[in-house]
This record gives sequence, structure tokens and C-alpha cells, in this order.
Amino acid sequence: MKPMLSTELNTPEAVVDKAKIEVKNLNFYYGQSKALKDISLSLPERSVTAFIGPSGCGKSTLLRVFNRIYELYPKQSAEGQVLLDGQNILDRSQDLNLLRTKIGMVFQKPTPFPMSIYENIAFGVRLYEKISKAEMDGRVEQALKRAALWTEVKDKLNASGLSLSGGQQQRLCIARTVAVKPEVILLDEPASALDPLSTAKIEELIDELQADYTIVIVTHNMQQAARVSRQTAFMYLGELVEFDRTEKIFTSPREKRTQDYITGRFG
Amino acid sequence: MAEHTVAAFDEDLGQISRLISDMGDLAGTMVGGATKALLNSDNALAQRVVSDDAIMDARQRELDDRAITLIAKRQPMADDLRHVVGSIRMAGDLERIGDLAKNIAKRVGSVGLTATPRDLSHSIDAMAQLVLIQVQGVVEEYAAGDAAALAKLRNDDERIDVKYTSVFRELLTYMMEDPRNITACTHLLFCAKNLERIGDHVTNIAENAYYVLTGTQLPANRPKQDETAMSAPAA
Repeated sequence: MKPMLSTELNTPEAVVDKAKIEVKNLNFYYGQSKALKDISLSLPERSVTAFIGPSGCGKSTLLRVFNRIYELYPKQSAEGQVLLDGQNILDRSQDLNLLRTKIGMVFQKPTPFPMSIYENIAFGVRLYEKISKAEMDGRVEQALKRAALWTEVKDKLNASGLSLSGGQQQRLCIARTVAVKPEVILLDEPASALDPLSTAKIEELIDELQADYTIVIVTHNMQQAARVSRQTAFMYLGELVEFDRTEKIFTSPREKRTQDYITGRFG
Repeated sequence: MAEHTVAAFDEDLGQISRLISDMGDLAGTMVGGATKALLNSDNALAQRVVSDDAIMDARQRELDDRAITLIAKRQPMADDLRHVVGSIRMAGDLERIGDLAKNIAKRVGSVGLTATPRDLSHSIDAMAQLVLIQVQGVVEEYAAGDAAALAKLRNDDERIDVKYTSVFRELLTYMMEDPRNITACTHLLFCAKNLERIGDHVTNIAENAYYVLTGTQLPANRPKQDETAMSAPAA
């Protein structure tokens, strides 16, 4: 069955806000192999969008197109348009460093730099801004507070980022992302390696951050997608099968493939 | 519908469906038994209906336990979620139907003492038949997965409401004709009201079943007619 790609389907009806990212007829290739097939969808500003689907469906690939991180690897290419505030980020003239200050990313496995907690955050800020020590102290504190980590680390800012627990390391990575004041935050399975309490803290954080940022989360945990997102996209074999309000997707999806996947009847 | 990757999930859902089906059958038996006992002054049958209510209650508790355990264990989504939540609600309505049938059965003794019920209850008999068809129909249509039939069945409740109005008027006439009928007719009026309430629970079940099957709600307004409220002050 062909995926439904009507305009109606690709802009969830309850979402009337301005689109932050608009994907238009996006195809993506790993060498000869087509990993994304004519994807079009519109992600509203300051809200959380979840991408779900089985392994290999293209959800992480789509996320990696948004900050062009795929260009780090040879033989990967994208065609079509990805508009960030109306500007096509796939354009050759797009400044990649500028793009990545606007679109931050947090990965499945926490990736703190092998340096102090303070430096983990200051490092990124210093790349883009020249600010005084006092201002930097403020930025570090603010970012750690934003990531709900401040009270746990404020007395050991010089300790190594690697000395923190997994959940704390992941929040440190989110703090590091937030510190450079991005507009969009991409989260690729941000809580899949964490215990339930740390997961809850990350989810609480996502809920708070959506007031200021456009957030896109890839997750295998459907309950997590149902809890944190306002709209959900279900992808399968490189196609966007269904994109709608999260409540609709998880209570009465339109497409049989979506239903089969989320109810555990797949394959 | 394809099977779940986890086979035990299908078994858990199947047990919930079976309980709904059992409760539906029992509700039909109880409503049929209660009206038959009423019309024939059959105290033994009435007693059986009263004792059946305990079975109904036990089934509902079992369904609640299973549904809650299933939600905790499997976190159902989409149609599975609607199935489980819908079943909890349908079981609540079926249990209430059992209570109302029991209420009718409990009045059998009192009505029989004061009058010959058959003479007073021509239209109550017809009303009970309608209600019984609705009770049996709703569980059958749900099991068959026929959403269109459920939508129609929900609207058919109007016929019970119309019938209730005519029963009300008929009993009022008997009471005015001969005050010695008042005790029996008052009991019968409560029985008619119970039948009318059973019809409303069937409507709820049809609405829930429709939602479980389709994922969409039936429109809030359905035809409704209760003219007894208008006639009562005149009496």
C-alpha cells in the first residue's frame, strides 16, 4: 500500500502553529540504497514531535538530515528540501557550523567530553562566542539548571563529566546542547540506556524545554512517544506511513500498518 | 486481525472478550427470567434471577482484575487499548443490567399478592420483549464486529422509551379505574422503569462497543422521548 501523503495527513489537524521545519519530497541514499522515500512533513515550532518505527525504518536517518550530520560519512546524500524557518538547509551555501548552533543533537549513548563538567558546557559556547569568565559562569549555571542537573553538580563543577552516572551524563549532554542556544533539539533515543528514574527526569526536562525549543525525538519506547510528544510520525521501510496528533496515533490510527506496529502485531 | 507477536497477549485479550460475552448472555437470561417471573408470578424463577446477580458481580470483578493486570503488563495501544477500556465500561453497564433485573425479580412476590399481573401488564410484556431483544442484540453485534448494527441498535432505544410512556399511561388508567390496583400497578411501574433503565444501559454498551470497533464516538445526541414527565402532573 502506498503511504498517504496528503497535505492533511502531514500537518496534524490540531497543530495550527507556525512550522519550524518543513520537509519536502526528501529522498536519502546510503550509496545506492534508498533509505528515505519522498518524505514530506511539517514540524510545528515549540512542540515535541516523535518519530517511531521499527529498526531500519529511516527515523534516525531523517533526524540526521536535519543537522546534516550525515555529511561526516562518505556516499551518503540527500535530495529534496528541508526548510528551517523557510531556508533550505540542504543548500550547498548553508553554513554548517551556523546550522549546528541552531540545531543541537543528543545521542542514545551519553557522550560527555573527557573534561570537567564545567568545561563540557563552556567548550561549545567558546566556539561561537567570546564572553567573560563571569558571563561564562552564568551560562554554565543556566544551562545546568535548564537541564535539571545544577543541584546535583554545583559543588563539583571541576569533576570529570565521565564521573557522573549515565542519567546525569545524558542531562549534561542536554545542558551542553542548550548552552549554545539552539532553536531545535534533536534527541536520538535519549533515554534508552537509562534507568526509569533517569528516564522520568529526561522526560520531565523535554516537557519543560518545549516551551522554548522545537524538539524532535526518535524513540523505540512507544509509551515514551505517547507521553512526551504532541505529534507522532510512524515510519516504515523509509516511508512516512502516518503523521498525526499523538493521541490519535496511539488511540485510533488511520493506517493498518501503524496499528499493527504500535499494538505489537508486526511481521 | 493479525495475531500479536506475544501470543499470551492474545490469550489475555481473548479472556476479556469471553467474560464480556458471558456477562452479556447472563444479562439476557436475567432480564428474560425476571420479566417471565413477573408476568407468571413465578417466585422460584425470580429467586434464580436474584441469585444469578451474584454470579454477574463476580464476573465483573474478574474482568476488572484481568483488564487492570493486562494494562499493567502489556500497556495496550490503539484498538487493544480501546478494547480493554471499552470492556471495563461495558462490564459496568452489564452489571447494572443485572442489578435492575434483580430489582424486577424482587418485586414478583409483592405484585403477585395483590393482583393478577397478566391482566395489568399487557404492554409491559411487549416492552420487556423489546428490551430483551436489545440486550441480546448488543452483545451479538459486538461479538460480530458490526458497528453499523450497533449504531442502529442504539437508536432503537427510542422504541423502548415510547413503550415506557404507553405502559405508564396504561397503568395509570388501571389505578384510576380501581384503587385496589394501586399497589400492584406501582410495583409494575417500578418494573417498567427498571426495564427502561436497562434500555439506557444497552445504549451505553452500544456506544462503547461502537467506539471500540471504530475508534470514533457516535454523535452525542440520540433520539430520546420520555413523555411521562409531561403526563405525570395531570395524573
